[in-house]
Amino acid sequence: MLLNRSTSRDRWRVRPDGPGKVTGKLAYLTDMTAPNMLHGMVLRSPHPHARIVSIQTEKAMAMAGVHAVLTYADVPGLNRFGIAHPDHPVFCEDRVRFVGDAVAAVAADTPELAAEALKRIEVVYEPLPVVDDPELALRDDAPRLHEQGNVLHSNDYAFGDLEAAFAACAHIVEETYVTPRQMHVYMETEGGLFVPEENGRLTVYSPTQHGFMDRMQLARILNRPEADIRVVSSPIGGSFGGKDELNVQPYGALLALACGRPVKLHNSRFESVRAGLKRHPMRIAMRTGADASGKLLAHQARIVSDAGPYSTLSAEVLNFAVEHVLGPYRYGAAEVKSVSVFTNNGMSGEFRGFGGNQAIFALEGQLDRLAGKLGMDPWELRRLNLRKPEDPGPFGQPIVPTDGARQVWEALLESRLWRERSSPSAEARPREPWRKIGYGAAFVMHGSGLGVGIPDPAGGRLALAADGKIEAAFGYEEFGQGLIASLEQMLVESYGFGPGDLRIVIGDTDVVPDSGSSTASRATSMMWKSLRRLHGPFTERLLGAAAEALGREARTLRIGEGGIRSLESGELLLSYGDLARAASEPIVCETSFSFPASPVERVGSHYLYTYCSVAVKAEVDTRTGRVRVLDQFHAVAAGPVVNPQGFLGQIEGGSGMALGFALTEDAVMEKGVYLTRNLDTYLIPTIAELSGTFEVLPIEELPEGDEHGPRGIGEVGSVGLAPAIAQAVYDATGKRASKLPIDPELLQERFRAE
Amino acid sequence: MIDKTLAQRSAGAVLECEVNGRKIAIETPPARRLLSILRDDLGLTGTKRSCEIGRCGACMVLIDGKPRNSCLTMAYQCSGRSITTIEGLADEERLHPVQECFLEEGGYQCGYCTPGMIVSVKALLDDTPDPTMEQIEEALTGNLCRCTGYGGILRSVARAIERGGEAT
Repeated sequence: MLLNRSTSRDRWRVRPDGPGKVTGKLAYLTDMTAPNMLHGMVLRSPHPHARIVSIQTEKAMAMAGVHAVLTYADVPGLNRFGIAHPDHPVFCEDRVRFVGDAVAAVAADTPELAAEALKRIEVVYEPLPVVDDPELALRDDAPRLHEQGNVLHSNDYAFGDLEAAFAACAHIVEETYVTPRQMHVYMETEGGLFVPEENGRLTVYSPTQHGFMDRMQLARILNRPEADIRVVSSPIGGSFGGKDELNVQPYGALLALACGRPVKLHNSRFESVRAGLKRHPMRIAMRTGADASGKLLAHQARIVSDAGPYSTLSAEVLNFAVEHVLGPYRYGAAEVKSVSVFTNNGMSGEFRGFGGNQAIFALEGQLDRLAGKLGMDPWELRRLNLRKPEDPGPFGQPIVPTDGARQVWEALLESRLWRERSSPSAEARPREPWRKIGYGAAFVMHGSGLGVGIPDPAGGRLALAADGKIEAAFGYEEFGQGLIASLEQMLVESYGFGPGDLRIVIGDTDVVPDSGSSTASRATSMMWKSLRRLHGPFTERLLGAAAEALGREARTLRIGEGGIRSLESGELLLSYGDLARAASEPIVCETSFSFPASPVERVGSHYLYTYCSVAVKAEVDTRTGRVRVLDQFHAVAAGPVVNPQGFLGQIEGGSGMALGFALTEDAVMEKGVYLTRNLDTYLIPTIAELSGTFEVLPIEELPEGDEHGPRGIGEVGSVGLAPAIAQAVYDATGKRASKLPIDPELLQERFRAE
Repeated sequence: MIDKTLAQRSAGAVLECEVNGRKIAIETPPARRLLSILRDDLGLTGTKRSCEIGRCGACMVLIDGKPRNSCLTMAYQCSGRSITTIEGLADEERLHPVQECFLEEGGYQCGYCTPGMIVSVKALLDDTPDPTMEQIEEALTGNLCRCTGYGGILRSVARAIERGGEAT
């Protein structure tokens, strides 16, 4: 059944955070102010690569109204950050490696004064040769950006006799796929408020996807115990992976402590562009061969990923790409070689899809090209090579079996859109000869969780608070995905609480347990699992205390809306408020566990996967070369739908990002300098590009006995549309786009007056 | 040569206008942006700061009923005008129908673009109660949303049209 408001019936709920959002009353962390507050700003390098000869801060410091000017000399702890490998300087000491590199920071009475103070910091640079191409960076004669050279990480994987397998192929396709430097474009740029408290602690109000990770990194930089830092991290005006790593936090924290006053930072859009993360631009060269019947015999991929100057999660993204260039298909032999390379370009890092977007664009492109050579229907070619439920994962690792691959494959075939493709009606065809219509489809198998080799903790806590509220505390973040709404919905539907009984506590390291990060499509799955683990113990505790207070047997009671009810009649016997007052001891249940992982050694292997199929109908205007998406169908096999509105929103929203990735988005750099500075030249889809038809079909069925419940859906929506569009463009025009965003020039045709 | 008296002359400038139905008079330089006045001087943080070049619509407000990017509007341009921000749409008892439709249809996710989006939808429907898809696209292309893919927004607008401005 297609997912929408009417098919969801009473499961379609108003989000608890909705009223604050539609009225403008919800205060984001960048809306906050404090009495006596100062404004912080960061001085960043004008050069993509240079040696710092000297830094003079005296003139800035001498300005009235300027309270602190900080450089590397003022960092009490580790002058580095980075989730996986801290090599990103908080402040550069003697060398800058990209145009976002920080050299100094100031705090002043007003933003205008802070900006003026930045101009009076005198930094003498000696420009160095710029390494702006990862392929060139790999050459022996390239300037070395780090002591270990320019290779950040490489990861190879192979099985079978590749040479023999290619020799046996009837058809081989070879292509190099190039993907853009996509920008997250969260509407709220990075920022926050940093408050030194009277008791000596520091409170950080700044968006992140993992409050405890920020706290650990800040403790390391500030050389303070983690317990002295409180990180408040939600609500967030969008993140998409981009705010998982530290951004303004080190500067806000250092300035606030240096001044002993609250300091606010809020990046301008250009500051966000130059300093922020982007999706890794990748070049993926592939060679794939099949026998005459279409059976895949050999598959070879080489991935070169542009990491920019520092590590953040580039190695992990590369590992993910290696796994996902293999994907859901079975091969006789395969070989993947990959390298993530340091350059003087902008920082690349975590972004929704995590390397899967680039990998799957390339892989699906190969299947489409191979089908062309075989003269076979591309979707049929996929069926022929698709994994079976019990097959191992892409790395040969055990994975949790589901029938998702077959289910989404069939769902696409049966979709209204795909049936229209087989027999397009008259109105489906354009009238003008320069408008060409095409259909395309793509298959997605996407892992969730952090994968083997990375600690992946999860958990949460339920309590009956003293005021009678049922308090659900999780260390996850609300960046728009509807996490609070999903949590409320699960507590209402599976426990029987009323929304008014609940208090949801997230995004504050002082009061939540460490539930791991809100990344990798993992948070909803982990909340579901936590609530399932807590269901028995928490219910038992509540009913036990109620039985005592009421002088009845616990087995005659149940929990329900408003309080404890009679199991038989449903009558309300004891409100949660009265229960809290009557209980002889606090009722608190906590659970902690880890995201399930495959029992193998290979780092980055996943265990749980979501399967999707995406069909698209697109129109190419061959006068302008512009592509317009008219109709989309997405089948998503991810287990039970926890929150219908959230599910639909994730697939629609993710797909909107994929549309931009395919057609318009690229943060353009030249010689290490951003030519793209703001949203006038960086074009994310508007409502006019996304007003086409959109259908989402969730496939909820899981094998009997499956204990993992809802799979991740936060990222998959952003993956499959780009390759499907590329195939639709080919279907319409006969032209193959292997570089994204698709260059309109490729699709323009010359017309002659008849 | 910079005319230093300009800064002095503007120092005591007073902006008199109406914000959400209340008359205000505040001392502010004539070239100060309305966005800053709303957020920093009046504490109306429902109007959001994002691109600051009039491209994204997060700072959209109504000036005499017309949607305007407050990041591109200077104080002197507001003199004597009536300004409505997202905070001014709902009355004490109930939400504006457009706000209700966004709530019911889930026309938002992170919510950061939502105030500006709702302001633009209100302006559209006040002017054109039964717009075509082209008119909707035209009216809302200046409001960027990165989360929803606009599906929920289009459904919210459709519902608001259906209601004809009436909350039911």
